[in-house]
Amino acid sequence: MQQGFELDSLTVIPGTLFAGLSRDRFYDYDVENISKISGVKAATQVMQIGNVTLYNSRNNKTVKAFVATAVNFTDFVEMFSDRFVFENDVHPTEYENDTIVIGHKVNYPTEDDIIPFAVANDTIILTLGVFNQTHFPPYYELNYSFTVGGTLQKKGTPGITNFDYWIFLPLETVRDIYDTLESDLIFVEVSDSEESERVAEEIEGLFPPYKVTILVPLTFIKQVDRILTIVQIFLMSVASISLLVAGIGIMNIMTVSVVERTREIGILKAIGAKSSTVLAMFLTEAMLIGVIGGLIGISTGYGLSYALAYMLSSFMQPQHQGTAFQTPETQKMTITPVFSPEWTALAIIFAIIVCIIFGLYPARKAAKLDPIEALRYE
Amino acid sequence: MTAILGVRKVRKSYRMGKVIIPALRGVSFDLEESEFLAIFGPSGSGKSTLLHLMGGLDRPDEGEILIDGSNILELDDDRLAELRLTRIGFVFQFFNLLPKLTALRNVELPLTIAGISEKETLQKSREILKLVGLEERINHKPSELSGGEQQRVAIARALINNPKIVLADEPTGNLDTKTGWEIVQLMRKLNEKKDQTFIVVTHDPNIAEAADRIIHLKDGVIEGIKETPRRKKQ
Ligand SMILES: Nc1ncnc2c1ncn2[C@@H]1O[C@H](COP(=O)(O)OP(=O)(O)O)[C@@H](O)[C@H]1O
Ligand SMILES: [Mg+2]
Repeated sequence: MQQGFELDSLTVIPGTLFAGLSRDRFYDYDVENISKISGVKAATQVMQIGNVTLYNSRNNKTVKAFVATAVNFTDFVEMFSDRFVFENDVHPTEYENDTIVIGHKVNYPTEDDIIPFAVANDTIILTLGVFNQTHFPPYYELNYSFTVGGTLQKKGTPGITNFDYWIFLPLETVRDIYDTLESDLIFVEVSDSEESERVAEEIEGLFPPYKVTILVPLTFIKQVDRILTIVQIFLMSVASISLLVAGIGIMNIMTVSVVERTREIGILKAIGAKSSTVLAMFLTEAMLIGVIGGLIGISTGYGLSYALAYMLSSFMQPQHQGTAFQTPETQKMTITPVFSPEWTALAIIFAIIVCIIFGLYPARKAAKLDPIEALRYE
Repeated sequence: MTAILGVRKVRKSYRMGKVIIPALRGVSFDLEESEFLAIFGPSGSGKSTLLHLMGGLDRPDEGEILIDGSNILELDDDRLAELRLTRIGFVFQFFNLLPKLTALRNVELPLTIAGISEKETLQKSREILKLVGLEERINHKPSELSGGEQQRVAIARALINNPKIVLADEPTGNLDTKTGWEIVQLMRKLNEKKDQTFIVVTHDPNIAEAADRIIHLKDGVIEGIKETPRRKKQ
């Protein structure tokens, strides 16, 4: 259920890849400040807790969730309305402070699962890991009871996050549990994706001297685009040079062939072949070289495109590994080569044209041969 | 008898750097329909040059070559090619077959150039190869054929378009005496059977004697024209 890349959604995450002080947590006022930036349609903060265990007493089943996300349901559901789609359209009438929403992959951990782990109104016991240095031991687990508000449909990875692997909890409740006012991420929705880079800059401007990282899908796409353009320019120049070299090669081979067959050309002319017939003969030969060469080139190109796409794809790992952004489905961006019949045909036509152009000189040379001279040629 | 080809005061010389080599110095004669003519003379006397001019492979410097009443000097290259394709058949001393093609394909070549349908081409080629006695070897390449057989293929190729005139330049020059004689006899047979006009260039007096008429060429001029007993019989 792959959708288009969510271009209007920015993600503000703590820390920076670059040197400097980094901001590690966000607060309510950050969201308020971001919301005031022009071009920002909405902003909402989330808190993330790793590795939680869910137990359903109704069917005695246990599942693990990769990421538990504490959200302000009202804002969050509105911002991600197209990804936050409930199974069988069963959705909570109201979000209570014990509501839990379960992502598709958590509810159906393997492809074979047809019976869901939970359905709406099931009671879930959630086991959360807590790390508290004032406590002994500092790491311990707490159990809380939640009521399933609904389960989500499978949505895949339209952006850099994949909700299928997430569970959603009310932010206030989780903040109470952890006794904190902090959050880990801020999702920002811009009114116009074209403006997302400007908005990102302004968001960055709110934090100095601290730095944050903002994931801008548009920038990412532009970067991919830039890399592909560079690859394209590189390939074009390689292609042009090889075209010239190949063309000269064809001319050379055909010239040699004309010289070698001087006598044959003489015979053909003696028995009545016109110059134009000889010209057509050699141009047909050049064309044949073009067709065969073109077909070989296309099949080679087909293979190489896949090899190159595979190589590029493995370079394009998302930057934030080992975080909530890494799920089995967001690990790799894949590039799939596209072969259009138009370009394929164009390539063959081009190959033929090149062969004809470079074959023209030797073909004319053959056509102009004087039959008597040609017959005397040893 | 009516003239099928006229040679009028033809001159032709070759230029090699600054030297001008006269090959023909004013040659005139008429070729009569369905005759078997020999052009006889020593090497360098201008026989090949004369044959090339008569076949429209080259143009004279001066004089006229008249075929069907038109002077070939006035025809452009394409018209000359057409003339060679439809009116003239060439047979060469070194056979001049295409080495990569089979006997059949070599014979088919003029029809292919003329754009005749494949079916007709195949049928005619088989027929003519049978006529020259090569029906068993049509799928052999020139390298797999003896000299005599190669020359038969060349004759078949020259005849395939049913030309009015067949020009043979030393057709026996590369064959032993016996095979050479067989080839001349074959050409004679074809000449009588199909009523085609044959001109055979040779420096072998025995071969020349097989003709109706012998034109004796020396140093680019005709020394004499002799009618053989064979012709006198007719
Ligand atoms: N292409 C040519 N270039 C220069 N000289 C030639 C050429 N063809 C023939 N000749 C010269 O013209 C003369 C007549 O040649 P040719 O017609 O081949 O005589 P033949 O066939 O009787 O041996 C010879 O002296 C020959 O060297
Ligand atoms: Mg000669």
